[in-house]
Amino acid sequence: MYKIHKQELFSTSSVLSKDKDKSATTKDSTPEGAAKRQADGADTPKQQLLDIIGNMKVEVSYRKKLQQLKTSENKKQAVNKLEGLDSEGSVSQGITGDTQRLNPELVKAASAVASSLPRNKKQTESELLAQLRRHEETTDKQKKGGPINLRSWGARLSGRISLQLDEDGQRTRPERSSAMDSRRYFCGVHLQYKEHALLTNLNKIYFLVSSPTIWDLEFAKEVAAVTAQPPRNGFEEMIQWTKEGILWEFPIDNEVGMEDDAEFHEHIFLEKHLEGFPKEGPIRHFMELVICGLSKNPYLSVRQKVEHIEWFQKYFEEKKELLQEI
Amino acid sequence: MAARRVGGGCWQRALWLGRRCRLPGGRESYRSSSSSPPLGKTVDNSQVTQEEIVLPRRKTWDKLAVLQTLASTVNRDPTAAHYMFQDDPFLIPRNAANSRLYSLSKESGRNAAKYIIKNFPQYFDKTFAEPNVPCLMPETLTPQTEGVSEEALRERIHLRMVKESVDMFDQLLQAGTPVSLETTNSLLDLLCFYGDGEPTPEKEQEEKEVLEEAGVDASEQKAPKRQFQRGSQASGPRWRENSHAERIFKIMPEKNAHSYCTMIRGMVKHGAYSKAYDMYIDLLNERHKADVHTFNALIRAVPYLKERFVERWELAKDFLTHMAQQKVQPTLLTFNSVLKSLRRCGGVGRTMSLFVLKEMEALDIEPSLASYDHLLSVYYKGVDAQSSDIISEVLNEVEKRSFTAQDPDDANFFNTAMQVCCDLKDIKLAYQLNKALEKGDNWKFLDVDRSNGYWSKFFSLLCMMEQIEVVLKWYKEMSSSLFYPSPKNILDLLQALDAANQLEVIPSVWEDVKQLGFNRRQDLLEEFLSLMSRDQHPSEIQLAFAKCAEEIKAVHEPAGPGQVPLEWTGSALGHVVVLFSRAGRTQEAWNMMEHFQKINRIPTDKVMDEFLNCAKQTNSPDEAIKMVKLAASLGLPLSQRLKSRTEEEFELSETQKKTLESIKWDGDSSDSDSDSSDSDRE
Repeated sequence: MYKIHKQELFSTSSVLSKDKDKSATTKDSTPEGAAKRQADGADTPKQQLLDIIGNMKVEVSYRKKLQQLKTSENKKQAVNKLEGLDSEGSVSQGITGDTQRLNPELVKAASAVASSLPRNKKQTESELLAQLRRHEETTDKQKKGGPINLRSWGARLSGRISLQLDEDGQRTRPERSSAMDSRRYFCGVHLQYKEHALLTNLNKIYFLVSSPTIWDLEFAKEVAAVTAQPPRNGFEEMIQWTKEGILWEFPIDNEVGMEDDAEFHEHIFLEKHLEGFPKEGPIRHFMELVICGLSKNPYLSVRQKVEHIEWFQKYFEEKKELLQEI
Repeated sequence: MAARRVGGGCWQRALWLGRRCRLPGGRESYRSSSSSPPLGKTVDNSQVTQEEIVLPRRKTWDKLAVLQTLASTVNRDPTAAHYMFQDDPFLIPRNAANSRLYSLSKESGRNAAKYIIKNFPQYFDKTFAEPNVPCLMPETLTPQTEGVSEEALRERIHLRMVKESVDMFDQLLQAGTPVSLETTNSLLDLLCFYGDGEPTPEKEQEEKEVLEEAGVDASEQKAPKRQFQRGSQASGPRWRENSHAERIFKIMPEKNAHSYCTMIRGMVKHGAYSKAYDMYIDLLNERHKADVHTFNALIRAVPYLKERFVERWELAKDFLTHMAQQKVQPTLLTFNSVLKSLRRCGGVGRTMSLFVLKEMEALDIEPSLASYDHLLSVYYKGVDAQSSDIISEVLNEVEKRSFTAQDPDDANFFNTAMQVCCDLKDIKLAYQLNKALEKGDNWKFLDVDRSNGYWSKFFSLLCMMEQIEVVLKWYKEMSSSLFYPSPKNILDLLQALDAANQLEVIPSVWEDVKQLGFNRRQDLLEEFLSLMSRDQHPSEIQLAFAKCAEEIKAVHEPAGPGQVPLEWTGSALGHVVVLFSRAGRTQEAWNMMEHFQKINRIPTDKVMDEFLNCAKQTNSPDEAIKMVKLAASLGLPLSQRLKSRTEEEFELSETQKKTLESIKWDGDSSDSDSDSSDSDRE
């Protein structure tokens, strides 16, 4: 009974999503709710999508979010993945031709995700596919190592300006060819730069490891001086002072600069160190006064106080023989 | 397995959710629809038996967060001077010169305190503050290691003691101990950086101030050549022949790439450009590789190595190809150096700078403000036919983001851009530039001097292009809190007032001028007087004008000790007379008239007419007669008419008439007339 029920649910997931749509519109859908529905409703294709995308090069933030969702789902029990995927296959029929370049599994997974979301299914699907396509493009590009598209403003400008400026009297060619000119000149240089970008990163790491020379220090000082303006109001002055270390940091922590490892009770309740002493008598009395004084002393560390008491203990031990004689 | 109906069609989902949750102890746990596992707390349903509490992640605040938030709530007060000045009416600076003086004096006070702490550390050994404030305590700048050893040498290099390091190095060599390559290289670094001089922080600060002032003045006078020359000359001590650096370099047993590089950088910094180039050739011959900073320095030296524009560009290109061959990645500073050299390449620079920018984009290097500054200078200096394409593109880029300083030349961008806007007479671009300045941290690129220059230029542009109400609004808001108007600004303001026919504002402008300390400038005074005396105005305004005239008169008179009075000019005197006359202050006007003779000038006809009018109004025929006498003695052709006017318009007593008649003057038809009149009488 239970199993069949579950399968029903899964095979009619598209129906379910429609229900969810309805319920989404009736109730207030908070963003958390949407996320949760997404997490619950597309568990299996989501997992697949996550796995596939995780292997691709994506931006870090996106990756982190995926990791989060992944870990959150580890708490729940995994349901039969294959069943889910098969049932979702029907939804992926509406895929257009230009997504054929992409991994078909990816495409299916994308559409599954889209279908699970309560919003416009087609839109999310196309968005996801577009994103995947973009990934493909950039990976291809970086694989080949060609130059990335030049931004338009430079080309536009050179088009306008190069026609005006011809100091030698010869007409400079229109915009596309002038762009090509520069590209032709710098092209060989480009590829070499791209190849050795890795080398520069290594250089940077080397710089961090080795100590900076006087040139670097002075340059850093010069650059910092460019934007170091006097404070415009009292708050900025306080910010500057805090950076220099002159002002307390807010919120104020009383114990800044104190490296005391011991808690307050270890400073104050020193009676446990008195176990070596007799329980009554003048010595005890004296030691209790000593402890009282030590507990009020903020300048000694716990170790020092304990040493103090131990010194007394040693002292009285030595004098014990003397006292006994008396 | 109680599947509760929670509502609507979502009981199925509730069941499904329940199944998917963990089932501890066999009991079902519900999950509310409005919670999500990784974020936030769970919202209780009334029947929830057990839920997982997910604690929100603890927020850690930066130590400056509170203060930064508070600082963001505060804006500039348009009625106050800059925060760094004491808020006392006597101690607030009133003009640009004073504000510089006061800020420098504050800085010098700080330096004096630091000097005392540095030189008398024995008085500052007690640490009262808990926790200790290390930056206020004296630094230990004396080297700890004694004796002659490499350790000691390294320490002295670290403490930047140039002379001691060189001595120690020589001692080590004489003693025969070899000094490691690394230590020698760091010694070379020190020597090349300071160019054989000693590091003096106070002098550096002052030099910078002087440079900035020079830069601001030069830009105001629009003399780019002069500015550049001054910049090139004031770049510190020159590279000496047979300096310690060269000597040590020669006697080094082994040299690596770093040695050559640091020598090249030092030479470029101190102006020995051809030597730097020779050293670079040596480096290539030794088959070493230069680093990116060396290439940057060499590219900066290009304008000094070649004369013709094309050759300069070719040399820069050579350096870039060498960089590629040696597999050195160019950085933002490389491209900025290229652009800087292109500034001195004329037309070639104009075409090539765009390619450089495109190259930067291709390598994914974001241009800094310095790149844009060089670009604007390349395009807008000294070219007549200027279009606003480049600058609008640049402004569109700049206003999008908040910049951080990456190049020391970044600070010049805003002033250059504002100068370009003024040259193009485009107020909209200026507004756009202001908006870019307000974005994020961009305001920090303008220090006090540059800020003054920037706003001064903006105000001149406003006076030229905007309506007078807008101008006056800006003036009230900006003046004395954001910038101090320069004399040129005041002149522009007066012209704007004249164009808008609002000359009644002039007395208040005069008050500001007095405060700014410009009340002894001839050109300003001339402008004021001529504007005030040009037309007749309603009487209150005339009275106010006369008061201004009186104050201007006071400037020309010997005041206290050490105050040299200004010399009167003829026109100024005339204007003052007119103004006094129109206000009915006859006696004073007459006093002024008498000045004419002292300065050997002749009053104009208008002046004399006005005076006569005044005399008529105030019913003082004596003055009129006196004036006619004066005119006659000066031999003016007008005097005859004046005489007749006096006779007609005034009610003269007998004696007065006689005096009038007896005035003799040296004119052409004068003798006969006077004779005839005399004869008539008799």
